[in-house]
Amino acid sequence: MRRFYLPTLLLMLLGLASGQTSQSYINAELQRLIQAGGQNYANVLLKQAPDQALCSIHRNKLPAEVLGPFIEEQRKSIKYPADGKLLGDWKQGEPIFNTLARGNCFSCHVGSPLNIGGNVGPSLEKYGQRGTSEAIQKYTYEVIYNTWAYFPCTVMYRFGHGGLLKPEEITHVVAYLLDPASDFNTKPALKR
Amino acid sequence: MGRFWRLVGAAVLALFSLVVLAQEEDDPVKEAEKQKKQLLEQSGGILPSDLYVEQGEQLFKTKRGPKNASLEACDFGRGPGKLEGVVGRLPRYFFDTRKVEDLDSRIRSCMIRLQGFQPQEIKRSDVVSIAFYIASLSNEQPVAVRPLMPQEKKLYQLGEQLFYLRAGPRDMGCATCHVSYVGKRAGVLPYSDILKDKRAASHWPAFRYSNDQAWTMADRIRACYSNLSMPAPDFYSEPIIALTLFMNVQASGAQMDLPGFIR
Repeated sequence: MRRFYLPTLLLMLLGLASGQTSQSYINAELQRLIQAGGQNYANVLLKQAPDQALCSIHRNKLPAEVLGPFIEEQRKSIKYPADGKLLGDWKQGEPIFNTLARGNCFSCHVGSPLNIGGNVGPSLEKYGQRGTSEAIQKYTYEVIYNTWAYFPCTVMYRFGHGGLLKPEEITHVVAYLLDPASDFNTKPALKR
Repeated sequence: MGRFWRLVGAAVLALFSLVVLAQEEDDPVKEAEKQKKQLLEQSGGILPSDLYVEQGEQLFKTKRGPKNASLEACDFGRGPGKLEGVVGRLPRYFFDTRKVEDLDSRIRSCMIRLQGFQPQEIKRSDVVSIAFYIASLSNEQPVAVRPLMPQEKKLYQLGEQLFYLRAGPRDMGCATCHVSYVGKRAGVLPYSDILKDKRAASHWPAFRYSNDQAWTMADRIRACYSNLSMPAPDFYSEPIIALTLFMNVQASGAQMDLPGFIR
């Protein structure tokens, strides 16, 4: 009994120190239900991360007292490319933005000259009008790497955080959006 | 059998001549109505879903399986052989299997119990056809799913929890799209409003004219997971039944449009 008690207490203290008592969403009954869906299904769902649990508990609307520490945690997860350059090669960003199985950005955002955009996310039409300042590069990179650092629990994938895109690939998407020479900024966006 | 193949012929011809989604309507319901009308005109009044219904009726009434029995004694909740309106009352608890079952899993249970099939022998396409047949007898009936039994109440609650659960590398969760982004488009169709629009769940099983597929609610749920690169729950499994129960309760009061005809 004592052997289990000490590590548990330490973990709880660690949780408190980081400002997040890691609440779990999946109780024993829900776990049993999920397991009935099959091995592959259960493997993914039962690996729910603490931040995903928070979004589930609060049904995607985090209360004020959770919001601060949550955003803090998300910000900490952001990693940058080794060379520190955030503006990559727009030509390599184009297929990422426009491919369903990669970035799939066009499905939710208007702006691409290659695909008709959706309206789940805000329009990114002529995103490059914002200029290429360090601040806008950093903001764009970070929103793609981990959008929950800016928009907690939103539907957009956390591309870097989830391992869907490497930091270098994200810099290419940043360039596709920001580079004045990019087709994204020189050609008209396709709309419904 | 002769009539069946004439129907097949007519529907195949109609599908080939179907104008490829030219000048799409903005409202998907209106667009589906337009497509349905076109298809009916071209085929002389036969829809592809009629074929599934016909096929399902044959499978339902023919003596099959090791026990050489038909499914006519299957109880879908209103008594053995009573099929009218049953789709709108599922999922519900059944005393014989001691499980809450939806349309698909109830058909499967009857194929096992009445016909003596082994679970692994049951063809998915047979279950879908039978589901279409039973659905055709629930057309224009109301959805009336109210969890009353403790097992139903429990599964409803778990279905609701599962609906809001987020997981996986893409943080997938049903509510993220079907509550937060209702009416918005990622791709061709706007997200349906599971909580407030009773039509969302009241037209399954449905024929999808865009890809010529017959889907039950189970196929629809599994596609939601697959579209976000998540492994889907197994057919006939409890997560599917729990989500269906949750959604059908939201749809209670709707008049069913069965089999559905959608993009």
